[in-house]
Formats: sequence, structure tokens, C-alpha cells
Amino acid sequence: MEKILTTCVYCGCGCGLYLHVDGGRVVGVSPSRKSAASKGRLCIKGWLSGDFVNHPDRLSYPMIRKGERQLRASWDEALSLVASSLTGMDPSAVGVLTSAKGTNEENYLFSKLARAGFKTNNVDHVARLCHAPTVTGLSYAFGSGATTNPISSLEEADAILVVGSNTTEQHPLVASYVLKARSKGTKLIVVDPRRTQIASLADIHISPRPGTDVAWINSLLNVIIKQGLADQDFITKRTMGFEAVKESVLSYAPEIVETICGVPAGVLREAALAYGSADKASIIYAMGITQHITGTDNVQALANLALATGNLGRPGTGLYPLRGHQNVQGACDMGALPDLYPGYQKVVDANARAKFEKGWSTKLPKVPGLTAVEMIQSAETGKIKGLLIIGENPMVSYPDRSSVRRALEKLEFLAVCDIFPTETSKLADAVLPAASFAEKEGTFTSTERRIQRIRKATDPPGESRSEWEVAAELLRRLGVPGDYSSPADIMEEISSLAPNYGGVTYHRLGAAGLQWPCPTRDHPGTEIMHIEKFPIGLARFRPVDHMEPAEGPDGEYPLLLTTGRCLYHFHTSTMTRRSPLLDREVPSPFVEVNPEDASRAGLRNGQKALVETRRGQLQLEVKVSPGVPRGILFVPFHFSEAPANLLTGAFLDPSSKIPELKISAARLRKVSP
Amino acid sequence: MKAFLPKENLIPWLKDLSSSLEVIAPVDVEGEVVYQTWKGQPPVLIGNTLSSPIEVLMPRTDVLFRYVQDSGRYTFDEPNVPTRVVVGMKPCDLKAVAILDRIFGSEPTDRPYLAKRRSTLLISLNCTDPGPRCFCAIMGSGPGSLEGFDLTLTDLGSGYLAEAGSAAGVLLIKGCSSGLFLEADGSHEASRDILLEKARSVMAEKYEDRSVEHLRRAIRSADWEYLGRQCLSCGGCSFICPVCHCFSIADLGVPDGERVRCRDTCLLSGFSRMTSGANPLRSIGEMMRNWYLDKFEHLPERTGLIGCVGCGRCDEICLAQIDRWRLEVLDERSR
Repeated sequence: MEKILTTCVYCGCGCGLYLHVDGGRVVGVSPSRKSAASKGRLCIKGWLSGDFVNHPDRLSYPMIRKGERQLRASWDEALSLVASSLTGMDPSAVGVLTSAKGTNEENYLFSKLARAGFKTNNVDHVARLCHAPTVTGLSYAFGSGATTNPISSLEEADAILVVGSNTTEQHPLVASYVLKARSKGTKLIVVDPRRTQIASLADIHISPRPGTDVAWINSLLNVIIKQGLADQDFITKRTMGFEAVKESVLSYAPEIVETICGVPAGVLREAALAYGSADKASIIYAMGITQHITGTDNVQALANLALATGNLGRPGTGLYPLRGHQNVQGACDMGALPDLYPGYQKVVDANARAKFEKGWSTKLPKVPGLTAVEMIQSAETGKIKGLLIIGENPMVSYPDRSSVRRALEKLEFLAVCDIFPTETSKLADAVLPAASFAEKEGTFTSTERRIQRIRKATDPPGESRSEWEVAAELLRRLGVPGDYSSPADIMEEISSLAPNYGGVTYHRLGAAGLQWPCPTRDHPGTEIMHIEKFPIGLARFRPVDHMEPAEGPDGEYPLLLTTGRCLYHFHTSTMTRRSPLLDREVPSPFVEVNPEDASRAGLRNGQKALVETRRGQLQLEVKVSPGVPRGILFVPFHFSEAPANLLTGAFLDPSSKIPELKISAARLRKVSP
Repeated sequence: MKAFLPKENLIPWLKDLSSSLEVIAPVDVEGEVVYQTWKGQPPVLIGNTLSSPIEVLMPRTDVLFRYVQDSGRYTFDEPNVPTRVVVGMKPCDLKAVAILDRIFGSEPTDRPYLAKRRSTLLISLNCTDPGPRCFCAIMGSGPGSLEGFDLTLTDLGSGYLAEAGSAAGVLLIKGCSSGLFLEADGSHEASRDILLEKARSVMAEKYEDRSVEHLRRAIRSADWEYLGRQCLSCGGCSFICPVCHCFSIADLGVPDGERVRCRDTCLLSGFSRMTSGANPLRSIGEMMRNWYLDKFEHLPERTGLIGCVGCGRCDEICLAQIDRWRLEVLDERSR
């Protein structure tokens, strides 16, 4: 019987836990008291995070497609096929989707594989569907797209504004800090169309019409400026461009915004005063802000709000873009992005390119690559011919599933590396079985920039291998220099090339990990960012204006469909549905419907309804819920048998290319039994 | 039988034990004390671990058997039960074993539990230094070991007073290399009594308002709907509790696979939800209340023992940071 300290594999909170191993299998999980973030606590998914590891469905040997069937193959055959198929294509026709579930070391190597091996910058990952607008928006505003403060700093806030984040369900650990602060008197303002648990605990709950975030945020700033609550000193010394924003929010008086958002002017004013008059105020946000065609503008609007009130660089302040995957922060840090090398160094910057050409001893492509959704769209038009997908399931997680299927089927070659068979792996020409988080070494970087180790607890099933070994072997076959005997070796290389990881080595990563930026070996890491200056010197305001969603409700499709998750499942639920208790808790797909809409459609709780959009239709069980506003349908996207993304559209935010997953025009009707 | 084990003989003794048994002891793993197979490290016999060693008897996931299908016939393969000795189990956890023995030992008896129970020796360590959340003395489960141990140790500073509670316990002392144990005398027992009385009075003073009667009253008067609104449904209070023993069963794998039972929690709606979707526990608040009622009403009725051993773990791991033992003290502004 052994206990192995590691880091949770689910959301981005970065909770520390011990895997209990007995007889060579994971038999339990318990929290780690020494974990800097979680301090001896876990959410339900964390407690059950070992459940899927020993599941018999695990992929345990490589497979190669022969006609309609995928047949067992050796690693040598499978990797040779991947290498020869993808190098035989024009580099611009090859793409790599890496995994926010993989380690930093793995994302780094796959980013290197794409650029130095396949000579393409077509490398991206699921951040494109979650926090791409954060990376784009906050990089512009502050010079860094990461959470500014540690999670524990929330306890010190006088006011917390939670926007588009179902925090108690998606980031329960963060919610625990919010609730702790609330119990000590912190004002809690929650903005969400749905009355979620955290909304029901809020002092002020704002339920705006989806897609009107810029408008209500601007109205808060309008009130704050008018009431003289702006922090003039901070604005003068630390920022630029305030005047233009001040000018632009003039037209967003609460009375005007009330007509756009459907939120009473008095409530907007009250929220503005609560946030604006707090000495220390924090903003938490998630997909409700980013998954819009105005995603980048939404993020900038929040940044404007924090900058104008001087709520940055101090305990209890800051912006918390909550990261969904345990290592989506790390995947971004490692340059699993088409325009950025590891450490957020730009592909278009000749100096940065020269640095990586020297570090990787090879020539690198100059043009930034395609984003994840663009790769899929280009596959449909035949421009992308080969894809290597690591631990992603675009058939369930990407918008407009029908077109994703057409795109993947059209590929000349598709390789998928994963721990379980998925809807995506079923389409693959080569399937590579991967080790899970419990079966390998590496590091994850949490939503608070905390780099923490994961440790091997058991052997991976059958012939499956760690993804870093797969990447290293492919690099070797493609003739890219690099000799890695362990993930610690890879971290050495990362720290030599990514300045924010410059001081990170494995022996420095104790139970508390290290928070980047950590530029040198003697640097203690950075708890709070932007204390004295921003990475770009002065922070940048930018005026943003309200824009209607790409596909609002109309006569034909009068309702608005929004998608999301629930507490008990994670993402495409390939792991959580293999946990007996989690699967039992929410066993089947559903649609949440407001009681009035339900009765108009003649629907009762538990009955089947057809939800239709211009892209497809799904039959779903109705959950009548007063927590959903009239006119809105909510469908979780976890379920492959009723994939919500059959309904969503791929309308993209022009700057960050995130699709507007939160808004689709829809209609609802009863299915006659 | 009583004997005295000087501290310098502790590791040699464990080495002796580990030649014939798998020794499970609290050791430091990455800066935190956890129970695991002892491999020669210095055991850390102070404070209590977050995860109870009760997991040796009742693992979070327990493989009941593996099934293999061959030509339409199934064969079943039960896993071997290792022979183990747990060293350093605290009286609170030991009391939990006593409760579980009554539950799993009553008809129909629970084979998987009893198989592990029979092949596990328990060496408890009396609690002379209770933690900040400990209230075993109030629940009558500590600080001294009461029943169910094979051997119990008391840390007297220079060594441990060892007292056998079973024939196997006598063998644990007598069967080891000669010279490890010295003779115990009356002064050792007197020191033990002083230390335990001190520990008892520390807890009694600190938690005088936590009597069973007091808690029962609090359960009756608490605002469960209010508490339920704050609960984050992590289930931790069940998973960490050494007494909570509910499980659900799942067959993993078709056609071959394994039947497992996993620790369950009444804080999940699926625990009490019917196939029709109806649920007798209608809210999280009612589920929380059920958790307390089970410990303070149902288990006492069924086993004669209070279903809470005062280990304080549920208080420590509550994700929502609800003060689990001050149910009547509510946040005024939300009422």
C-alpha cells in the first residue's frame, strides 16, 4: 500500500492529492494538507479522480486502420506510420492539436514537434475554445494573459465580481474561497443569466440577456466614473488610454443599458457602487465572458473596469480568468498556440525565432499557423490534410459537430493519442494509447500560475505510454535533436527557453510548487503580478462597444441556447462517466427550461423535447428549472450520445477566433411519446 | 500482558514484524504523514493523519472479484487478502473499527470486510497529544484505546508502554527478537494514566458544548436549508469519515472485468434517488441532516454506539468550510 502525492487532473484549481495504491491499482484518493491551493480539501471530482484510471476501457495497445477496422499494431509500426504520413505532406497541410490534459513537458514537446519536426506553426489546443480571448485581451491590456493573484487572495477582497462562471460547480475550490470571504462580509456580485448556486448566495445577482456583457460592464464603469470612484492616481501613473474609454462609456448610462441587457438600471448602479467603492475588489470570470464573438472585447471591458478602479497588483484585487483544464494554463505557457513559442514569445518576432532555431538546432517556419477551429474548418475545405490530435475530442467539444465529422473524415491522415477510445479516435488512421496522469511524471500549471508536479503511482495499462515519450520518439524519427530520459530533462530545456519558467527545476517543486514568473534559480516565484509595473510598462485601456451576438433569437428560432457543464462531469466526460458515482449522479443528457417556456411547449419535467438549431437537433430530457430565465435553454455538452455541439455554431471572435458557444438561436418542441 | 518498548527499539521491532507481516505505518511522504507500507523509514507516531488507516479494512474502491467470460461461462477470481498489521492507529479510528465490526459482522455478514478484518492486526497508539479539532474524549472513543486492539501503545517519552488486548497481541510482544521489550512496571501505568487524563481534560475543556445531547439538540434546531445552500457537494465528510461505510457496487468491463464496490456518500442525490427520479431527500440540506442523523440517531439504535468518534476530520476537509459542529451558529445576514 502506497500513497503518491500528485495534482488533480480535472479543473484548473490545482488541488494537491494523494493517490492510494494497493495491489498495483489506484484504490482511493485523499486530499493533501500541504497543498498551497487546496489545503487538505477536494471537490467531488477530486475525491473520485482515481476512478477512471483502472477502467477496463483504457486503450492499451496502438492500432492502425485497415479499411473499416482499427487493428492492433506495434508502437514501431504506428509511430512510423504517423511520422511518414505527416512528413509526406506539405507542412502547411499538417496540424497538431495538443492537450490541456497533458503535462507541460508534453505540450512543450508537441509544440516543438509541430514547429521543428513538421515545420508548421499549425499547433493549438482547447484553450482556443475557452480562454483564447483572455490570452489575446489581457496580453494587450497588461502584457500577460494569466490570473493575476493567487486563489487564496480572494479571501482578502472587499468585493468580488463573478462573471459568467458557475464557480461552485466548475471551480469548487475557488468557490470555497469566495464563500469564506462572503462569510466575513465581502460583497458578492454574480453575473449569470442562470441563477446558479453562487448566484443564489450573492448580494447582487445580475441576469443579463446573453451576449450583452460589454454593455453592462461599460455601464458599471459609467457609474463609477460619474460617482468619482475611479482611481485617478493609478490611472495616471500605471495606465494609458483612459480618456478614450471615459468618452466611450458616456453613452452607457444604466438607463440606456437597461434596454439592451434587460437589467434594471438600479441594479446596475448598485453593482457599480459595490465594486467601485471597495478598497480591494476582485473579478472572477470564465466561459460566460469568453465564448462570444465579442470574447476579446468582453475581457478588455473587465480589464478596463479593474484598471479604472486601481484593482490590480494588490492582495484581494485582480482578475481571475478561471482555467477549465488542469493544465490549460501550462499548454498556453508551453506555446501550444499557433502564434506563440513557449513563454509567450512571438513567432513573428525574428529574435524569438532565432532563439528557438538555435535552441532546437533547426530552421523554423515564419508564418503563424492556424487556430484549432480554423484547422478543422480548413480540413473540411481540404487545406489541412493531416492532423495529430493529442488527448482532445473535437467530435464532442468543438462547435458544429456535423462539420467537424466531415472535416475529420476528409483528412488524408488522422492520428489520435488518448487514454480512452473517443468519438474522435474512432475516426483515426492511427490510435496511440496514452498513460494517464496517475501513470507518469511531469508538471501541471494551475489557474493561479502554480507549477506543480504529478507523480507516477502505477504502471500504464498494457503497452500504453506517456505522451512525452511518444513526442520524443517522433522527434527522434524526424531527426530533431533532443535526448530526454525523463520529464525533468524536458523541464531543463523549457527553463532555458521560456523566461517565465527560467528558474523552474524539479527539485524546487515541493508540495507548494512555484508560481511563474520565476525567471531565475534563486527567484521565489510570483504570487501577485503587476505590483509595481506591468510587463508592457503601462497598462492599456481600450474602448469597447456593444455588438449583438452572431445568431440571436428570431421568428424561426425564438429561443436562445447556451451550453455549459455540470459539477459531476468534466468536459466530454470520457473520464467522469467511467466513475460509478459521478456517472450515477448525472447519468444522461438534459435541457434546462424555464417553467413558462416549458408550459408554452406543453412540456413537463422528465419529458422528452426536441431542441433544434440551424445546425441540428437533439432529443433531450426536460428539466424544468426556475433558475433559467425565460427564453433561454441550457444544455450541458458532456454527452456524446446527445452532443450539444451538434447545435452550436462556429461564429468566431475576430481577434481570438473563439467560437460563440454560449449563444445559438434555437427552438423547442415536445416529442410525442 | 504489558511491556515497555524503548524508543530506540521501535524500528528494530517493526523490522521484526515486517519479516512476517506487511506493516502499515504512518510515514512522511513529500512532507505529510500518511499510512502506507512501512519500508524502514522512521514512523511518525504523532498527530493524526487526514486519511484514516481504516482504509486497510474498507478501501475507497474495493475489488470484490474479477470475472472472465469463456465460451459463455463465467469464472470468478477473488483477490488475495494480504496479512497486515496496522501500527499507530488512534483510538478514534479504533472505535470506528468497533462500530464497523458490529455493522458488517451482523447478519447477513459482510465477507469482504470480515476477510480483511481477520487478516489485519491492529496496534493502536493512545492519544497523549490531541489535535486542535479532536474531541474523541467527548464522544467516548478516546484518548485511550478501549476495545478491538491487539496491542496498544502509549508514548511515555523514552519509550512506549505496550499492552496486549488479544492473544495475537501477546505474540506481537513475545514473538519478536528477545531484548526489544523490557518489563513494564506500575510507574509506566501511572504515567500513562496521567498523560491520558491530561489529554482528556484538554478536550473536555475546549469542547464542553459538544456532548451527544447537545449535538442532538443542534440537529433538531439547525436551519438545514441554509446549511445546504452553502454545501459544495464534495462528499468529503463521508469519504473521510472512518465510520461512514455506505457503498455502491459497479461492474467495470464487458464481457470481462471486475466488480468493485466504492465508498458512497449520502451527500449525492444519486444515493437516495429512485429510478423514477423521485428523491426522499429533497434538498442538499436534507441530505446533510441525514448524515448527522445516521451518526447520532440511527447508528446508536442499531449498534449501541455513537456513530461519531470525534476525530474532527469532517470539519477539516469541508470544502464549503461549514463549521460542522456548530450547527446552531448561523450567519445572521443570510437568514
